[in-house]
Amino acid sequence: MQLDLKTIEALAPDQASLGAAAKLTKRSNWPRLETNEQLGLIWGECQGSGSNPYRVMFDTGDHGYKCTCPSRKFPCKHILALMWIGATAPASFALVDQTPDWVNDWLGRRRKPGQPPAQAPARAEGKSIDEASRPEQNAPVEDAAAAERRETAQRRRAEDTRSAVSAALDELDQWIADQLRLGLAGFVDACSERCRRIAARLVDLKATALAGRIDELPARLMALRSEERPDAAIRELGKLVLLAKAWRAAPDDAELKRLVSTSETRDQILASPDAVQVESDWEVLGEKIETRRDSLVSHATWLLDLKSSAPRFAVLLDFFPASAGRRSGAFAPGDRFRARLVFYPSRNPLRALIAERLGDAAPGAWPAFPEGTAGDPLAAYTAFQDGAPWLSDCPIILPAGAIALDEKEGAWWQAAGDPHGIALPVAGSVSQTLLGLDLAATAALWNGARLELLASQSSIGRLDLS
Amino acid sequence: MNELEQAGLARLRDGWVSGGAAFELAPAEWKDVAAAASPDEQERRLLAIAAQALDVALRPAAPKTLKRRPPLPVLALPMLPERLRPLLRAALKYATDARLKTRVATLVASRGFVLHPMDWMPAASYQESPEVYAPWIDWQAGAEGEKQSRREHLTAETWDDFYPAARRAALVDLRRTMPALARTLIETKGASESAEVRLALIEPLRFGLGAADVPFLKSLSADRSGKVREMAGRLLARLGEHGNPADGGSEDPTAELAAFIEEGKAGFIRRRTTYAPVKLKSPAQQARRADLFASCYFGDLVARFGKTEADFIGAWQFGVDDNADLFLVRMVSVSGGDAAVACLADLLVAAGGKLALLVLQLMLRLDSGRKRVLIRQILNDAQNLAALNLVEGAEAGWLEWGDLAKGKALSALRSAFSGDKDVMKRSAEQHLETMGFLANPLTAEKLIGEVVAAGLPPASPSLGLLRLNAALAGNPP
Repeated sequence: MQLDLKTIEALAPDQASLGAAAKLTKRSNWPRLETNEQLGLIWGECQGSGSNPYRVMFDTGDHGYKCTCPSRKFPCKHILALMWIGATAPASFALVDQTPDWVNDWLGRRRKPGQPPAQAPARAEGKSIDEASRPEQNAPVEDAAAAERRETAQRRRAEDTRSAVSAALDELDQWIADQLRLGLAGFVDACSERCRRIAARLVDLKATALAGRIDELPARLMALRSEERPDAAIRELGKLVLLAKAWRAAPDDAELKRLVSTSETRDQILASPDAVQVESDWEVLGEKIETRRDSLVSHATWLLDLKSSAPRFAVLLDFFPASAGRRSGAFAPGDRFRARLVFYPSRNPLRALIAERLGDAAPGAWPAFPEGTAGDPLAAYTAFQDGAPWLSDCPIILPAGAIALDEKEGAWWQAAGDPHGIALPVAGSVSQTLLGLDLAATAALWNGARLELLASQSSIGRLDLS
Repeated sequence: MNELEQAGLARLRDGWVSGGAAFELAPAEWKDVAAAASPDEQERRLLAIAAQALDVALRPAAPKTLKRRPPLPVLALPMLPERLRPLLRAALKYATDARLKTRVATLVASRGFVLHPMDWMPAASYQESPEVYAPWIDWQAGAEGEKQSRREHLTAETWDDFYPAARRAALVDLRRTMPALARTLIETKGASESAEVRLALIEPLRFGLGAADVPFLKSLSADRSGKVREMAGRLLARLGEHGNPADGGSEDPTAELAAFIEEGKAGFIRRRTTYAPVKLKSPAQQARRADLFASCYFGDLVARFGKTEADFIGAWQFGVDDNADLFLVRMVSVSGGDAAVACLADLLVAAGGKLALLVLQLMLRLDSGRKRVLIRQILNDAQNLAALNLVEGAEAGWLEWGDLAKGKALSALRSAFSGDKDVMKRSAEQHLETMGFLANPLTAEKLIGEVVAAGLPPASPSLGLLRLNAALAGNPP
């Protein structure tokens, strides 16, 4: 590995980046550090502030780099930290023969492979590795009066937020009643404009999360056939009524606050005594990446617990600005790893953070989960709705089945050996190849109207369907 | 949910869709829950109940006409091991078009594996896919039901058990081993088929073509399809059967073509005959000559000059008119006999330089041995390595290290990667992809080491196919 600190100093965009990188050079921040000396590559996973670790890769040959974080600094602090570890503690990197898919993916998309290393500026003016390495001076100790003032201000802000959110929900209630009075046929036709208006009002009244959900409602309706939209509108608006009522009944409930106003920070979740922690082997089922109307990209990575006797899922959810450009996923579908996850407190714990990565898990098939009640593949969805009827997307494991087409070329999942029994419509189009495969088990998201396929087990192994 | 509730839900839905208060339309039990509230609140409560009813009490109504595809056929080779799929995907990603992706599949098939169908599927219309994929091509083309098995022999009885792509592969196999039996099958089964199918059935006759095929091919001269007649005529011409009797009249195209060629003499001691293209005066003449080369048969042309095919080729003055050279080579490829094709290929390869590249026009007619000779020649010259990419139907995974090291190709690649010209590097990277297809595993391994030592970044995606090739060495099926 040919890396030296002067190169890092020269490549750093500014002194602040070097300082931030210095803090990330602790080994505990990096659950994975690997190198392929033959290829001259180093890569690693760095646990940042998001749910997913950032994937960081660096070519020691030509100083090309890539990080999945949304930073606008190039190179970002994660790259600098990876190089720093490479220069000062190369033994931290495990030697491997094969590069993971996500590194291959980057290599395949690099524009100018084969260029000589970028010329570092002759002088790294204003940047110093030595300065970045110095420990920060301790922050001044807060006195008791100041602490009390701070807490009082916090309480006041919380009260203000609660009052504002309560007013927001009153407006939402009125808006829903108006839509019913005006007719859902008209609502479906003009939902984009109408939802935009109420969403903007909700943002003003600090019901930010709820506003985001309503902003996405038109897209959910338009994804369906026109004859299905009125029923979908009833479902979506009815869920909003339920959520508003639930919040009024328990405004301090963590899950409801998260769904209506704002989410907890990573540190708050990690410190929360109510957060369920599960250490297990996890498989990445698939990803769901959506650009929202508020110009944020939501990136959901769905995981399956491989050691649980009943299907248990987790979702790592990250948001970043669409203007930051396309981000490659932190995980590739099919990846398996051992980790301790911390779930956001919830009636149906799904959203989670990776608290600790504990290495890779062995490849193989999914566990054989028992079938749902009386063979109903949506039994898990019903139970999910019992706990939190205001939610939509529910992950489920479908039993053996196959994909079939209707007369309009719409895809349906159909249970094996039950050609005239239950069938569930599949969102979007499916690969033609999938139509010829028997699916032993399928992981999917059911939203009450459509299945979004994530992955399947089949006679030819695992299929990525997300 | 009982029927009353379902009916009530339907009424509520209709009421809300058109607008206005729908409370009175709700089922009685639902009204009880929603009562004792303001009119707006009543509607919202009913909406919440209706939403839950739609969500959990109703199931999507599955259409009665759901249609499944037949199962994807199991191929005769095992699937590529899971651990090699990342390398495969990297190679497929670097391969920019269907032809190059198919080449990856061909290399993998030559090592005894097929690709995962979610990584690559042969296009139904693309005939260059390895034969092992024929069942998938048929499946993609919409073949329905359980049919065909490559384990069965193709006979008149099993004919209908094969789908088109699998049947063609079986016919080609049969032509190579028992040509007479294959011809009899084509004769028997082709008569009742459409012109398009007849054409596809006759095409495999080019494998193992021999004098015994002449009567059948002659019988096709009365076929109702012009394309079938043309194909049969070309095959006959390859067997030395003159397709167009020379009457020497003004309407005789072969005579017209011969007029574009002048006979000469060369040599001082041993005078020998030469043939060279006449210098043309106008674009119209050039166009007419091109048409005539494309439509006449080589056997007819050489007969006009009273020469054998090999003698005529030996007497042709290459280099006088590049276009005429190209047309002649194409003509030989289409209608020349096997001996003429071999003679021409040897002559051109021996000439080297740009003439050697004309052999690319003969690819469909050359055996694998001559293709290898051509490839070695191109590597040896290293003048035009891009031509490697044009060698159609070349075998995968045979190129030995000596083939590379002895010629100028390796040093050309080294200097491209050690130099600072981006254009040269990009071009050399494309050659690496081709060599990734041609090389045997040991050559692939060594070549990676050489070009990396010369300056190509070891992580360059252009090494993808070479790396896959090398990794496939240790994976016997």
